[in-house]
Order: sequence, then structure tokens, then C-alpha cells
Amino acid sequence: MLKYLKKYWFFCVAAALFMVGEVSMDLYQPDLMADIVDNGVLKGDINLIISVGVRMIISVILGGICGIMCGVFANLAAQRFGNDVRKDLFGKIMSLSFEETDKISTGSLVTRLTNDVTQVQNTVMMSVRGFVRNTVMFVGGIFMLYRQSPRFALIAACGLPFIIIAVVFFLKKTSPLFAIVQRKLDGINNVMQEDVKGARVVKAYVKEEYELDRFDKANGELCDINLRVHTLLAFMGPCMNIVLNICIVTVILVGGFTFREGGDMTPGRIMAAITYLAQILHGVTFMANIFQTFTRARASADRINEVLRSEAVILDGVCGELPERLGEVEFRDVSFSYAGAPGNRVLDNVSFRVHRGETFAIIGATGSGKSSLVNLIPRFYDALEGEVLVDGVNVKDYPLTELRARIAIVLQKAELYQRPIADNIRWGRGDADPWEIKSAAEIAQADDFICNTEYGYNTLVTEDGHSLSGGQKQRISIARAVIKKCNIMIFDDSTSALDLHTEAELYRTLGERMGDITKIIIAQRIASIKGADRIAVLNNGRIEAVGSHSELMESSELYRDIYNSQLKEGGDINDGE
Amino acid sequence: MTENNKTLPRGFERSGEGQSMHYNPKGGQRAQPQISFRGGMRGRGMGQAVEKPKSAGKTLARLVTYFGKAKNMLVILFVLVVLVTLSALLAPTVQGEAIDFITEHEWNSLYISLIILGAVYICNILFSLLQSLYAARLSQFIVRLMRHDLFRKIDNLSIKYLDTHSNGDIMSRMTNDIENVSTTVSQSLGSLISGILTVVGTVAIMFYHCWQLTLITLVSVILTVIVTNFMSKAMRKVYRKRSAALGRLNGQSEEMITGYRSIVAYNKQSDVTEEFNEASDELTRVSMRAEILGGSMGPIMNCISNISFVIVAAFGGYFAYTGLITIGTISMFIIYAKQFSRPINEIAQLYGSIQTAVAGAERVFALIDEPDEDRSGDIIPESVVGEVSFRNVNFSYTEERRVLHDFNLEVKPGEKIALVGATGSGKTTVVNFMMRFYDVDSGEILVDGVNIKDINRDELRRSIAIVLQDTVLFSDTIRNNIKYANPEADDDEMIRAAEMSNSRSFIEKLPEGYDTFLKQAGAGLSHGQRQLLAIARAVLRNPAILILDEATSSVDTRTEKNIQDAMVKLMKNRTSLIIAHRLSTVRDADKIVVMDAGRVVEMGNHEELLERRGKYYTLYMTQFAGNQI
Repeated sequence: MLKYLKKYWFFCVAAALFMVGEVSMDLYQPDLMADIVDNGVLKGDINLIISVGVRMIISVILGGICGIMCGVFANLAAQRFGNDVRKDLFGKIMSLSFEETDKISTGSLVTRLTNDVTQVQNTVMMSVRGFVRNTVMFVGGIFMLYRQSPRFALIAACGLPFIIIAVVFFLKKTSPLFAIVQRKLDGINNVMQEDVKGARVVKAYVKEEYELDRFDKANGELCDINLRVHTLLAFMGPCMNIVLNICIVTVILVGGFTFREGGDMTPGRIMAAITYLAQILHGVTFMANIFQTFTRARASADRINEVLRSEAVILDGVCGELPERLGEVEFRDVSFSYAGAPGNRVLDNVSFRVHRGETFAIIGATGSGKSSLVNLIPRFYDALEGEVLVDGVNVKDYPLTELRARIAIVLQKAELYQRPIADNIRWGRGDADPWEIKSAAEIAQADDFICNTEYGYNTLVTEDGHSLSGGQKQRISIARAVIKKCNIMIFDDSTSALDLHTEAELYRTLGERMGDITKIIIAQRIASIKGADRIAVLNNGRIEAVGSHSELMESSELYRDIYNSQLKEGGDINDGE
Repeated sequence: MTENNKTLPRGFERSGEGQSMHYNPKGGQRAQPQISFRGGMRGRGMGQAVEKPKSAGKTLARLVTYFGKAKNMLVILFVLVVLVTLSALLAPTVQGEAIDFITEHEWNSLYISLIILGAVYICNILFSLLQSLYAARLSQFIVRLMRHDLFRKIDNLSIKYLDTHSNGDIMSRMTNDIENVSTTVSQSLGSLISGILTVVGTVAIMFYHCWQLTLITLVSVILTVIVTNFMSKAMRKVYRKRSAALGRLNGQSEEMITGYRSIVAYNKQSDVTEEFNEASDELTRVSMRAEILGGSMGPIMNCISNISFVIVAAFGGYFAYTGLITIGTISMFIIYAKQFSRPINEIAQLYGSIQTAVAGAERVFALIDEPDEDRSGDIIPESVVGEVSFRNVNFSYTEERRVLHDFNLEVKPGEKIALVGATGSGKTTVVNFMMRFYDVDSGEILVDGVNIKDINRDELRRSIAIVLQDTVLFSDTIRNNIKYANPEADDDEMIRAAEMSNSRSFIEKLPEGYDTFLKQAGAGLSHGQRQLLAIARAVLRNPAILILDEATSSVDTRTEKNIQDAMVKLMKNRTSLIIAHRLSTVRDADKIVVMDAGRVVEMGNHEELLERRGKYYTLYMTQFAGNQI
């Protein structure tokens, strides 16, 4: 993390120097004041008061300028530092393979990019300013105190350990409690979320009172722990003040005695000493705060580093000449397992070939490996053994962008972005004009509902697409894939929220308008893929059988089982086809 | 504009302007984690985007009545604040006296005044400790109460409200707004009172000692206040800009990272990175301006307060020279001048945070004021037989689009009715009425011959069990999730329900069996298993009427068979309304209701309808037999 700051070392040093300037001026003040009191006021020298006063004002203004400059430089360093880290982090995230992003959840990646970066940035800012300020204040304060009288410095030295002990004590006591507070807070948020999302069930079972009790319990726990934290913290300030006040009384007492005995002491110095004491002791408290943020920042920095240090495992391939875009896909003895579970073969020796213009369907139970299989085609993951070929070339030999430009894949979960529907579709191909967008939407059976919305194609897709139904989102994401105009289209169970009629229309229009592109369709329902050229039945990572619907009905028991469970006794009607 | 429209295809002619972007509110809200390490110079809330409440007076009045419930605590807190402030005011006077005694060599008086000083300090420490303790208790008390009230409301909101309002917005009132209100009440209010007291008290004491020097001090303090105000105004503007930029960036990050797979699939990594970098640069630019301005605040304030210090010292020195005042008075004035300018700055800042809190309270109250679900209807049926009839039911969610047209349906007790039709044909709406999640616009729905509006709502719901497509489970044990339907059921009954729903075998295979705690509402279970649990729940309820929304989504063949068996068992001898997606359900139904655009177009059993070769036939051929691809 520090290497990012290295670039801005000049700003950091400048900020620190200016800070030293500001603090020195601050420390100089009480000294000058003592001069005014002792030599001006007590001796009745009005000229001295004025001349020292002018000096004081000049030093104050100088200090102010130093302070502002310190702020400017600290900000230049911290903001640019933060910006660099943020950009690098985002770039890194975008370059990672799914294997790595699977490991760190997307939610966590977002927090790292937003909260953690801000946290680290603030800490840089704070350490450059606060750390330097308080250290200088502390050391300088003791020095100045010593200059007023060594005895005063001794008093401060006696008070300091108590302050430090108090600070450490409270930090130790409270920091584990904060974690509990967070947990309890999650607890009440959880109850609320479940209730808002599951309102129908709560109401259907007439559980309003029960839920209120559940919430009250969580609420009570949170309030109790919060109260404990605040109670503890309430003691912190007074404890510090006791020490500070004892020191002040002692300073006056000791100062008074010294003065009485005709020692080297003046009332002005006593006044200055009180000011320095307060400065030193408050410095300690602020240091404690800084250390607290430091530990939090370290955790953040670790999380950021974890991402920055991970390397993408899937990299561009090299191949001399790119083959023509035909639309052929072939699997040769492909086996695959996820990095997280190496022993568990998700795909086991899978071989098949999809010809140009063919509609190839894959059916099988959840967990049979269907999605994993198609994920290997655009190299979202790499096969463990065997080869995956697109247009006759191993996918590992393509530059990644070239490979992915050949394939339009519609994912299981429709991921849309907060922009107008038209732009969401255009995302598939940047230079598409409105007619092409409309045509793609027509193929995806989305045009009707889009035109029926208030703003048509300019309707904003809101956060997470809440304004659209599941089926509508799926259709928009299909339109986005259609507009990409690839020879290979993969539908990864991406029509699950459409009724069969719409689904059938979709495939019909697609066939009509797009000509002979290769389609690989994953489906749960036999009805949606019955008409495919060939159907592969996947079971526990192996292909059990391949063939057309009627062939499979004859040859594959598994297929018949699935068929019977979904379309039991439907045979008589189909005979009339 | 109109010129252009002619050349655009349909659907493109309406501009999208005027729609509001809903960025993730998380980003904008906690935009400015202020770290105050310069003492009172740069306090909480300074420069933060301040939100203005719509009708502050009304909301404040309501807040006051709210706190009325904690009247005793409030009074105690107020007394404590006064005591703390008084002792804090007294300390510098005594301190100044002590220094005077030193100058005047009055040693006995010095001891006495030091003892007094110690006593004042002890009082101050004690009272401020009590003040913090009470403030914490008060704020937790109020927060607890408000959360309770708000949750009770959320619990009783109508489904209509929940369907039409963003869940995130509802929840942020619970998390952000209430928190804001409570911190303001417990901290800001205290500071406000003590601030005002301090200012008044300090001025009074200063006047008492030397009015000339007081006037001079006042001038410098007023100068401070003016500068502060001016700067915070400028700062508020840049901070608001910064919040917006941060919100944009956070929204973008979230969207891009959660939508990462699509970005990769479409080769968009570099485009997206560029977009992100632009937003990031913009944020840096804006925050640099904001932070530098904010960072200058401290030094400038420091500067001004030191200048006022010099002024006090110089004039004080002059007055002491002329014999108007003593040295101790100067020391006193220096402390008072500091003590006096701080609360004035604080009050200016508090104004902002109080405004934000009032705006938050306003939102909380707005939700609390939403009407509860309709609870009229007081007939408590003895036992529900399960006869259901819909008569001339009309309904529309929004004015322009009608969902149900003149819907009629008679269901005899124990009959199984399958509702079929394309998405949007109104099937789900029918179900919503049965549970009174929504009420019909016109027409009536009768259960056992009684209009459901006249039946006690809770009793009506108790006589119906519903299994939804999206399974809802709670973060609790499996046992409690099944018993959700009937907490009085004993374990035997619960196990029987699990057995009947075909979920017993998988539950008992889990290491902790029925005591397995479902984290994140059952995230560890497969979709099918979750659905079986939902069925078990419905079994345990043992209702007269059953509503099933068959799941279309992905479950494997064996689980699907399990679910289907369980549903068949569950439907036995009950009036059942099923939104049917499975062929077997449709075929086995006593009556199939074919819906299209909110109307019943055909009704009858499977064979009859097939023979008719009408809408059902087409639907059947495409939807269930899947004859096209």
C-alpha cells in the first residue's frame, strides 16, 4: 500500500513540514503571552505589550498559513493516493478471472472498492496531519513546559502514565464490544429484511405479533449492548479530566510555592503552563483516536491488498491466424472441477461436437454440470483436462476478446444496468442504431412490453431492475445478446421466467430472423427444447445420451424419466403433431 | 425534437427525461466521515450536506410528544446539563482568583481557592459523567421505542404499499433515520442547551468583571462566528457536490461488480474501467476542493481565536496597567473567550445536524402515519368448509390497466381448481384477493357464503394456507420454520408434517436435524428443499383452503417429483386454488380456469377443454407439450 504513497512523498513531507510550522507557532503563543503578562502587564510596560502583541499576531498568521498549506499538501497526497488505489483496484477486479471473483464475493469486492479505499485514504490524511501534529505538540509541549519550569515538566510526566493507562484501558474494553454492536445491528436488519421481503407469508400465517416480538427481542439486545458501550465511554472523558485537573491544581500550587520562595517563577508562566498541560494531555487522547483508526485502516489495507495481489489465471492465448467465424463448438474429453473443490469433478470426460447452424440442447438435473459446461466455451473457466474448441481452434489459443466476440451468452441471472432500456440493449454492440435495437427486442419478445411502458425504450432500468419482472429482465438481456450478432448463441437457462408460449415464440423468431446461427440451449423443461436438433442428457458431469427428442425417448431411460415427470401422459396429444 | 421522432421506431419517441435515478442511497448518506482531531475546531456535521425538513415545526412538536414518554429522564438530563455548564463556568473564575492570590502573595487565600477549584472540578467531572450516562440511556430508550413503533407499522402495512414502495427506502428509515434522530436528541440537544447556557453565563460573568474588556472580546468572537458561517456555507455546497460524486461512484462500482459476468461476456472490461476512472477522477477533483476548504477551516479558526486572544491580552494588559483589572482577570478572560466562542460555533453546526435529524424524523413519522391494513370485518366463522365464489370481480392495480374483468368462479368444498394462462393474465391477482392482500374494486368474494370483507381478517387467513413460488424461510431453526404455521403443534405433529411433505428424510440427514439453524433465510438449502419446507409448513397449518403457486424455477427431476407428491398429498380433501405450471396438476384438476387478459375465457376439465379446441388447446399444445422451438 505504501508504494502508492511513495509517488507523493513530496506532498507528504511538505505537509509534515508545514504542520511542524503550524504547531511551533501554536506552542509559541502561550510563551509570548507569559511575556506580555510578566513583563508588560506586571511591569506596566505598554509598549512591550504592543510589540509582543504584534509579534504574536504575526506568528498566529504564519501558523495559519502553515496550517492551510499543510492541509493542501496532505489533501493532494491523500486524494491522489486514494484515486490511484481505487483505479488500480477496479482495473484489477475487471481483469480477474471468475475463479478469483468467486473466492471473494462480489458484495465484498464492492465494499473493498468503496469503504475500504475511503478508510485507507482518510487514514493517510489523518496520519499526515494528526499524527505529525500531535507528536510535535506532545514533544514541543513538554519542552516548553520544561522551559517554564522543570518542575512543571515533572508534574506532566507524573500525569501522563495515568492518561495512557486510561486510554489503553478504554480502547481494550470497548473495541470488542463494537464488533458485537455490529452483529446485533445485522440482527435487527435481518429481521426487518425478512419481514419486508416475506410480508405475504407473515400475513398469510397471521404472524404479525410474533414478528413484532422477534423484532423487539433483537431491538432490545442491540439497545442493551449499545448502552453498555456508551456507558463505558461515558467514563473515559471524566477519567482523563481527573488527571488533567489534578495536574492543573498541582501546577498552581507548585508554581505558587516557587514564586513565594522567590524561585524562578512568575504568574505568567503559571498561566502558560496550564495551557501547555491541556495541549499535551489532549494530544494523548487524539493519538489514541488515531491508533484506533489505524487498526481499522490496516484491516482495510489488507483486504485491498488481497485483491491487488491476486493474479488472473485466465490469460490471452496466442494463435497465428484467426479462423473464420463459423459457429462450431467442440468438446474433446473435457473434465472440469472448481478451484474451491478440486476433488469434485463437475464435468467428467465430456465430448461432443456442435455443428454450424445446429440447435443443441443440454438437459439435466441441477448440479449435473450444465452451466459449468457452457462456461468453458467463452473461457469463464478453464477446463482441467481435454480441449474446448471454437471454430476448430482451442479456446486457450484465442486472445480473450476475440474469443468472447464470437460468442453471445445469455446468463442465468439477467444482469442489467441503471440506464435506459435502449442503452442496456445497445451494450451488446455499441454502434447499434434504434432500428437494430428494436429488431433485437422484437426477436427477444420484449418490444411489446417495452413500448407499453411510459417512456418506451428510454425507460430507466432502476436499481437491480426492480421495476421489471423477472421475465422482462430476461428478455432484455436476450435482446442484448441478439444484437451482438454472433454465430454462436448460448442460452444458460435464461428463459426460465418466460412462459412456454413466449419462449417458443422467441426461438421461432430467432430462427426466422437470425438464420443459421449455432444455438446451445440449457433448459430445465423438456418442453422448451423438444424441437432441438440434438439434445444431450447430462448426469453427474457425464453425457448420458445424445440425440433428437424421439431418439432419446427410445434410447435413454433417464430422458424418459425426466419426460414422464414433466409431461406425463402427454403422449397422446403429441401424436397428433 | 418532434422532427426527429418521426424517423425513430416506435418505443423510442418518448424521451426518458424526468425519471429519477435511484442510486444506492448508501453511498451518498455516509459521504463524509469527519475525523475531528483538532479539538472543537472542526466538529461533527460541519459542512455535511444538510437536508431541509418540509414542515419542521410540526415534526418537532411531534418529536416532543414522543419524548414526553421519557419526561423524567429528560428533566434529569436537563438539570445535569445545567450543573455541568455552571461548574465549567465557575472553574476559570476560581483559577483566575488563584493566580491573583499568587501575585498578591496571599497564600492562605490561595489554598482556600485551590480547594474550591478542586471541588468545582470534582463536581464538573461527576455531573458530566452522569450527563453522559443519562444521555446514553435516553437515546437508547428513544431509539428502542421508535424502532418498535416503526416496525409495528412495517409489520402491518398493506401488501399494496410494500409492492409499490422500494424495500430499500423502507428499511433505510429504520437504519439511518432513526439513528440520526437518536444521536441528535442525546448529544446535540445537550450541547445546544449547554452551549446557550455557556454563552449567556460567560457573557454575564465577563460583564461582571470588566465590561470594557467584555465588549472587546465580544467583537472578536462575533468576527469568528461570521467567518465560520461564511465558510460553512461555501463548504456545504462543495460537500454536497462531493456526496453526489461519491454516490455516483459507489453506485457504479456496485453495478459493475455485481454485473461482472456480463461485462466479461461482452468484452466490456476496458470501457467500464474507463468509465470508472472518469468517475473516480471527478470524485477526486471535487473532494480535493472540499477537503482543502474543510481543512483550511481549522487553521483559520485557530488563527482568529488566537488573534482574539492577543486582543484580549493586549487590552487586558493595558487595563491592568491602568489598574482597571487584575492579572487574574486577564487569565480568566482568556479562558472565557475560548469557552465562549466554541459553543457559538457548535450551535451553528448543530443547527445543520438538527435539521437533518428532523428531516429523518419526518420520514419516520410519514411511514408510521401510513394506514394499517384494513381490519374491518368481525365475523368469526366457526369452521370453514371451503366453498369459494368470486362474483363479478373487477380489479386494476393502476387506473389505465385493468387486471381482472368481471371475474366469476364458483368453487365447491374440496374442489381442485387450476388457473392457467399466460403471464400477466391475472392468475396471481386472484390469489391475492383470497388472502385479502388486495381488495377488489367491485364485485365480491364469498367464503362459505360470507363476503370475505366481513370476515375477521386474521381468521380468514388462518383458514387458508398458501405456498408461494418464492419460498420464504426465516433465519431460525428448521423446527421453528415448520412450526411457524402453528406454534402450538408438538414435535410429533411437526415430524408428521415433514413426513407428509417429503422433507423428513433430508432434514434428518442434516447433522443437527430439526435444530439446524437456517442462516440467511435458508441460503444453505437447495431451492427444492426450501420449497418442501414451505409445504411442510402449510401441512402443519391444516387449512380448509389451499392456495398453491407452483414453482416454475429450477429443481431437479427427483426433487420435482417429491414436491409434486407432497403437493398432491396436501391438496387431498381441501379446496385448492392452484396457479398451475405442471401438466399433471392441470390434468388432475377438477376444474381448469383458462385466463386471458383478466377474463375467464374457458372453464372445464381437461378432456372437455381439449375437445373444444379453443384457447386451452393452443395453450396446452405450446405451454405444456411444447410443440415449437
